[in-house]
Amino acid sequence: MIGCAVAWRLSGTAARVTLIEAAHDLCEGASKGNTGIATSGGDCHPGTLELELVRRSSPGWEALCARLDTPFHRIGTLAVALSEEDEQRLPELLRDAQDTGAAAEVVTGDQARALEPLISEGARAALHFPDDGIIDSIRLTIGYAELAARNGVEVLRGAPVRSLARDGDRIVAVTAGDRRVATRSVVNAAGVEADTISRLAGGEEFRTWPRQGQYWLFDRELGGRFRKVVGGVPTPVTRGIYCVPTTNRSLLLGPTAVDREDRTDRAVDAETLDHVFDAAQRLVPSIGREHAIKTFASNRPASDPTYRIAVDAAVANLVHAAGIRSTGVSSSPAVAEMVRGLLEGLGLPVGDQRPDAVTELEPLPRLLGHPSPEQLFARDPRYGQVICACEQVTTAEIAAAHGMAVPPTSLEGVRKRTRATGGRCQGAFCLSGVSFLHSLHAGRRPQGIAVSEPDATLGVGADDA
Amino acid sequence: MPDRPLVAIVGAGITGLACAHALRDVADVTVVDRIPVPGGVHGWEAAETRELARACRAHMRLGETAIRWDGLALLAIGQDGPQRMEAAALVIATGARPLGRAELGIAGGRPAGIVAATVACHLAENGLLVGRRPLIVGGGDWAMRAAGELRAAGAERATLVCPDGLLRERPVDDGVHVRERDRVVSVAGTPRVRTATLASGETLGCDAVVLAHGVAALRNVDGAVWAGDRAVYAQPLADPATVERARAAGAEAAAAVRSLIDQEERP
Ligand SMILES: Cc1cc2nc3c(=O)[nH]c(=O)nc-3n(C[C@H](O)[C@H](O)[C@H](O)COP(=O)(O)OP(=O)(O)OC[C@H]3O[C@@H](n4cnc5c(N)ncnc54)[C@H](O)[C@@H]3O)c2cc1C
Repeated sequence: MIGCAVAWRLSGTAARVTLIEAAHDLCEGASKGNTGIATSGGDCHPGTLELELVRRSSPGWEALCARLDTPFHRIGTLAVALSEEDEQRLPELLRDAQDTGAAAEVVTGDQARALEPLISEGARAALHFPDDGIIDSIRLTIGYAELAARNGVEVLRGAPVRSLARDGDRIVAVTAGDRRVATRSVVNAAGVEADTISRLAGGEEFRTWPRQGQYWLFDRELGGRFRKVVGGVPTPVTRGIYCVPTTNRSLLLGPTAVDREDRTDRAVDAETLDHVFDAAQRLVPSIGREHAIKTFASNRPASDPTYRIAVDAAVANLVHAAGIRSTGVSSSPAVAEMVRGLLEGLGLPVGDQRPDAVTELEPLPRLLGHPSPEQLFARDPRYGQVICACEQVTTAEIAAAHGMAVPPTSLEGVRKRTRATGGRCQGAFCLSGVSFLHSLHAGRRPQGIAVSEPDATLGVGADDA
Repeated sequence: MPDRPLVAIVGAGITGLACAHALRDVADVTVVDRIPVPGGVHGWEAAETRELARACRAHMRLGETAIRWDGLALLAIGQDGPQRMEAAALVIATGARPLGRAELGIAGGRPAGIVAATVACHLAENGLLVGRRPLIVGGGDWAMRAAGELRAAGAERATLVCPDGLLRERPVDDGVHVRERDRVVSVAGTPRVRTATLASGETLGCDAVVLAHGVAALRNVDGAVWAGDRAVYAQPLADPATVERARAAGAEAAAAVRSLIDQEERP
C-alpha cells in the first residue's frame, strides 16, 4: 500500500521511479488482508502524526477513488455499547473523538438500530462516526501501482532487495532480485520488513514485528444487508472486533490483534476464530456460521514508534515510511504526500506535476450489479461469458486484467484484480476455467501456472516428475 | 397458449429437466444453463437426460448464465448478450458442490494445493495433476471420483479422510488408503501444502488436500440466493447425487411452483 502510494504520488513528477517488490505481485503484505475501513480519525489519538495524516486523507476519498477505479463508500461506523460499563465510557470517548476533529455523535440504542437494523436488541447506545468509509484496499493498492506504471514507473516484482550499496552516507544502488538499480534516494516502505531494509542500508536500528489479525469472510448476501460498519466500544488496548460490509458486499468479521514473532506466518486457529465469531455475534445476533466462505490472517507492520516517516539519521538519502501499523489504508494518500515532501527536501525534482502525467485510470466496468449489461455487451461481447458465477466475473474482465500495465502473474493476482474465485464457492466451480484462461493470457502451460508465488504451482506438473 | 404462466428454471440437470417436464402442461417453461448441453452432473449421455430434454417441451437457453432475479424477471447473459425473461416463478436447480475450507473448519496457513474435488477432477481430466500424494477429505461420491481420477492421472497414492465414514464401497485400488471417522483440522506448508493434521492428533504428509466432503447448494443468481421473491429451490443436498433424488426434487419443485401460480391467480 505505502510503496505503491508513494510511487503513484511521485509518478506524475519529473523523478524517475522504480517500485521494488519482493513478492510475485503487489499487495501481498498487510495491504491485502485488512479491514478496509477508511477511518475519519475519530478512533485515533490526538496529537499524533497518524491522526494528522488520516485527517488529511479522509475528505479526498471520493475523488481519489474515482480516479483510481477503486470502490469506496462513506457509510459510517457504529461503536456499539452492549454493557452498562461500555455505555458509561461513551461520553469520554465522544470527547476524545471530538478532539480529533472527526465527526462523531452519541446515539441511543433505538437510534443505533434505526441506523443499522441488524445490531443487537441489547445495544444500549453507540458512538457514531458518520464520515468513516469502506474501501477496497486491494483495488486501491493495485490502482496506485497501475497509475504509477502508466506514468512510467518501472515495477519490479519478485525482486527482494538483498543489498544497498553505499558511498559515504548515501545509498548509490539497490540490488533487488537479479537487478541492480542505481539511485539518488531510497524510500523504505517494506512494511514488517522495514527494519531489515534499514539494517541492510546501514541505517537506524529499529524493530518491526508482525501483529496478527484473524478474520472470517461471509457471503455477500449477508454483507449486502448491512448499512454501517459495526464495532464494539474500543478499549485502551484494542479497537476490538468489527462486522464490516466490504465494498464487494461480503462481510468481514475481525480482526484480532496479537503480537507474533514469525513474519511469514498467516495461519488461522480455531480458538481465535471462535472468539472472533462470538464477539461479532454479540453485536449482530443474526449472523450464522453456515454463511462463512473463508477465514484468513494477516500481519500488521508494527513498530515502535508507529508512523516512522522521516529521513534516516545516518543515511542521508534514505526515507523511511515504516511501521504504518493499523491505519495505512486510511492515511496512504497523505503519507505519500509527506514522503514526496521529504524527497523534495533532499533535492529531488518532485515539486511539480509533469503536464503529460496521467491522473486517472479508465474505469473497468464489472458485470456484477451493473445497471446496463446491454451496454457492456455492446462494448465487448466477452461480457456475455460469465466465468466465475458467484462473483459474476466475465472473460472480458479477466482479459482486461491481463492487459493492465501491472498484469496478474498468478491465480491470486487474477482474484485480486477481478474477484474471480473469491466468492461463496471459493472457486469450487470456476477455478479450473479461470486457470485455463490465465494460462492462455499469461502464455504459460497450465501445469506451470501459480496459485501465488511462482513455486506455489496449481499442479505437480510433469516437469518435476 | 399465450396466457399460460411463464416459469424460468435455472439449471438443465436432471432436477431442472424433471421440473420442466412436470410443468409442461401448465406453464410455458424456459430452462437456462451455463453449460451448452443439458444433463448437469449426470451428463448429456445419460438416458434420463435425453428422455427428459425431449419430453419436457421447454425452451432451452443453453450456454447462458443466469445472473439476476428481481421477482418479476430473470436476467441471463450469454453469447447473444443479456436476455430478460419475465416469469411468474423461478426455479433454482443449479446443483451442489462439496463444502469449502472455511465450511469444513480447516485451520492453518494458506498453502497452494488445497482444492475442491470438483476442480481436482476437472483439472485431472485435462491432464493437470494437483498432487501425487493427495489427501482427500470425504467418503462419498466426490471423494471416490477424485481418488479414481487422480490415481488415473498419475497420483502414487491417495488417502481418504472420511469424517462420516466411508459412504461408498471400499475402493479396491490398493493405492487408496482410508481413514474412517476422522477429519482434517489444519494444514501447513509453503509454498504448497506438506502436512495435514487430523482430529485424532495424527499429522499426515501430503502434497494436496482435496475437499470432497459434505454438500452445499450452489447458488449464484442475485436475488435468489437465500429467500427470494417467488423463487423455488430444487437442490437435493445428498451425496451420492442420484438420478432418482434429482427427479424427486424436480417434481417437488414443480408442485411448489404450481401452488405459487395458483395463489397468484386467485383474485
Ligand atoms: C489485520 C489488519 C487490519 C487492518 N485494518 C485496517 C483498516 O481497517 N484501515 C486502515 O486504514 N488500515 C488497516 N490496516 C493497516 C494497513 O493494512 C497497513 O497499515 C498497510 O497495509 C501497510 O502498508 P505497507 O505498504 O506499509 O505494508 P505491506 O502491505 O505489508 O507492504 C510491504 C511490502 O514490502 C515488501 N517487502 C518486504 N521486504 C522487502 C524486500 N527486502 N525487498 C522488496 N520488497 C520487500 C513486502 O513484500 C510487502 O509487499 C490493517 C492491517 C491489518 C494487518
